[in-house]
Amino acid sequence: MTFSRRRGTSPSGNVASRNGTGGYGSPVPFLIPAFLIVFAVLIFPIVFSFVVSLFDWPLSAGGGARRFVGPGNYVELVRDREFWNSLRLQLGFIFIAIPIEIALGLGAALLLNREFRGGRVVRALILLPVFFLPIVSGMTWRFMLQPRYGALNNFLLSLGAPEITWLGHPTFAYTAVIVQDVWRMWPFVFMLLYAGLVGIPADILEAAEIDGATSAKRLTKIILPLLYPTILTAVLLRIIDALRIFSEVYVMTEGGPGMATTLFSLYTHRQAFGYMKVGMSSAMAIFLLVISILFAITLVRKNMSLEKLEEQGENR
Amino acid sequence: MRLATRKNIITAAVAVFALAVLAVELYPIAITLLNGFRRDIVILSGQKLSLKQFTGASYALVFQNSQLMRAMRNSVIVGLLSTALSVGVGAMAAYGLTRFRFRGKNALAYSFLVFRMLPQMSLVVSLYLMFRSVGIRDTIFGITLAHSSFNVPYVIWMLIPFFTVVDKSYEEAAMVDGCSRWGMFRLIFLPLAAPGLVVAAVFAFINSWNEFLYALILTGVNARTAPVAISSLIGGDTLTWGQMCAASTIMLIPVFVFTIGMQKFLIRGVAAGGVKG
Repeated sequence: MTFSRRRGTSPSGNVASRNGTGGYGSPVPFLIPAFLIVFAVLIFPIVFSFVVSLFDWPLSAGGGARRFVGPGNYVELVRDREFWNSLRLQLGFIFIAIPIEIALGLGAALLLNREFRGGRVVRALILLPVFFLPIVSGMTWRFMLQPRYGALNNFLLSLGAPEITWLGHPTFAYTAVIVQDVWRMWPFVFMLLYAGLVGIPADILEAAEIDGATSAKRLTKIILPLLYPTILTAVLLRIIDALRIFSEVYVMTEGGPGMATTLFSLYTHRQAFGYMKVGMSSAMAIFLLVISILFAITLVRKNMSLEKLEEQGENR
Repeated sequence: MRLATRKNIITAAVAVFALAVLAVELYPIAITLLNGFRRDIVILSGQKLSLKQFTGASYALVFQNSQLMRAMRNSVIVGLLSTALSVGVGAMAAYGLTRFRFRGKNALAYSFLVFRMLPQMSLVVSLYLMFRSVGIRDTIFGITLAHSSFNVPYVIWMLIPFFTVVDKSYEEAAMVDGCSRWGMFRLIFLPLAAPGLVVAAVFAFINSWNEFLYALILTGVNARTAPVAISSLIGGDTLTWGQMCAASTIMLIPVFVFTIGMQKFLIRGVAAGGVKG
C-alpha cells in the first residue's frame, strides 16, 4: 500500500481502486442499508411477481383460491387479443412519438444554437413542459380537448366546424395521447441534444467552414456524427421512459374509448384491478420488466458505466 | 456587409420561430395557471378569458377541501421522509461504490443503475400484495418505502460523480491520522459533496412529489398523496376544473422553483427519468 501524497488522478478517475485507501476498511457497512431497501422493494417484489405469474391468483380480500398453473398465464396472454392490442398500441406509441420528439428536439437544438437576444430565456422556458406534472399534463390535455368548452373545439367551432368529441373517438384519442407526450417530452430531447451541440468544439466547425464545407456538409459530416452518441442516449432514455407510460394516459383517457388507448401498463393495471387477475397482470409485468431491463442494460453499458460517471465528476 | 445582413435575417427568423414554439409549449401551462383563478361555471360555459373573471374562489375551495389538504400534507411528509431516507442511504452506498476496492463492484453499481429504470408497473402489483399482507398498505411508512425503491438507486446514481472528485490526499491524510472509514465519510465526504447532496435531495423530492402510480395503488384515504387526490377532482360527474387547476398550480410551484434554480444540474437530474411520475 502506498502512502504517497501524489496529487492529480489517473485519467479514468477512480483513484481509490488503483492505490491509496481503496483496500482500507470494509465497504459492507456502507452498502448494507441501500441493499436492504433495494432488496425489500425491488428485488423481492420482482421475484414475488414472477412467482405470482405462475398462479391463477384472484384479487380478493380473503386471498381467494390460488391455483398453480405454471406457464398457463403466459400461454393465455399469447392467446389474449387485448394483450396483443395493448402491445401494438404501445409499440405504435414508441415508434410514432419518439422519432417526432427526436426530430423536433434536434431541429430546435440546431436552430437555437446561436446567440440572439433572449435566447437564454427561450431555451429555459422551452423546458418547462418537461417539469409539468405528468398527471396535470394529462388532465390539461383532457380539458383542452373537451368537446363543449375545450380550447381546440372553441377554435374550430368559431371556424364553423362541427363539434368533435376528440377523446371519444379511437383514432383521435390515440393521436391525442401521442401529441400530449410529444408536447411534453420533445423539449427533454432538445435539452440533451443542445448540451451535446454546445459541447462540439467551435474550431472544428470553423476549420470546416474555411475549407469550404457547405452548411449541409457540416451538418451531415461533422455535427451529426459527433452528436450521434447523444442522440442514441436520448433515444434509449425516451424508449425506457415510454415503455412505462401510465399516469398521463390514465388521467387523460383511462385507456378508452373502449381499449383504444389501453397501452401496455394500462392493460397490466386493468388485469389486476379491473379483472382482478393478479396472476395475468404479473405475467405482463414480468414481460415488461424483461424488455425494460434489456434496454436499460444497453443504455448503462453504452453511456453510464462507472468510468463515465466518474469522468463526469472530474470534468465538472 | 451582405453577409452580415443575411446573418441578421436568419437570426430574426430564428427568433420568430422560437417565439412561435414557445407559444405552443407554454399555452397548456398558461391555461392551467389561469383557470385556477376562474370559476368552474365560467370555465364550463366556455367563456372567453377576461380580467373580470379573475377570482380566488377556487383557491379558497382548495384550502377548505380537507381531503385535498390532507393529501398535500401527506405529499410533503412522504417527500421529505423518502428524500431523507434515500439521500442518507444513497450517500453511504455511493461512498462504498466509489472509494473502496472490492470484487463485484462494477456489477453492483450497474445493477443500481438498471434498477433506476425499471417500470413501476412491473413492481406495483406485487408491492400491493406484499404491503397488504404485512399491513402497511395505505400508511405513510408504506408509500415512503415504495418511493424509496426509485429514489435510492436514483440518489446513488446522482452522487457517484460527486464522490469521485474528492481528492484522495484528504483520505490518505485522514488514514494516517487513524481516522475510521465512517469518520472519513462523515468528516470529509459529506461536507465536500454537500452540493451534490442538495441536488440529489431536490430531485429525489420532486420524484416523490410527482409520483402517481404507487400512490394510486398503495394508498387509500389515509396516506393518499396529492397527485391522486387532484386526479380525483375530475371524473364522472365532478368536473371541478377550477379547483383542479388551482391545486395543480400549488403542486407546480416547488417543481418550477427548484428546476429554475437548478439549471446547471438539469440534464443530469432529468436523464434516466428524473422527473417522471
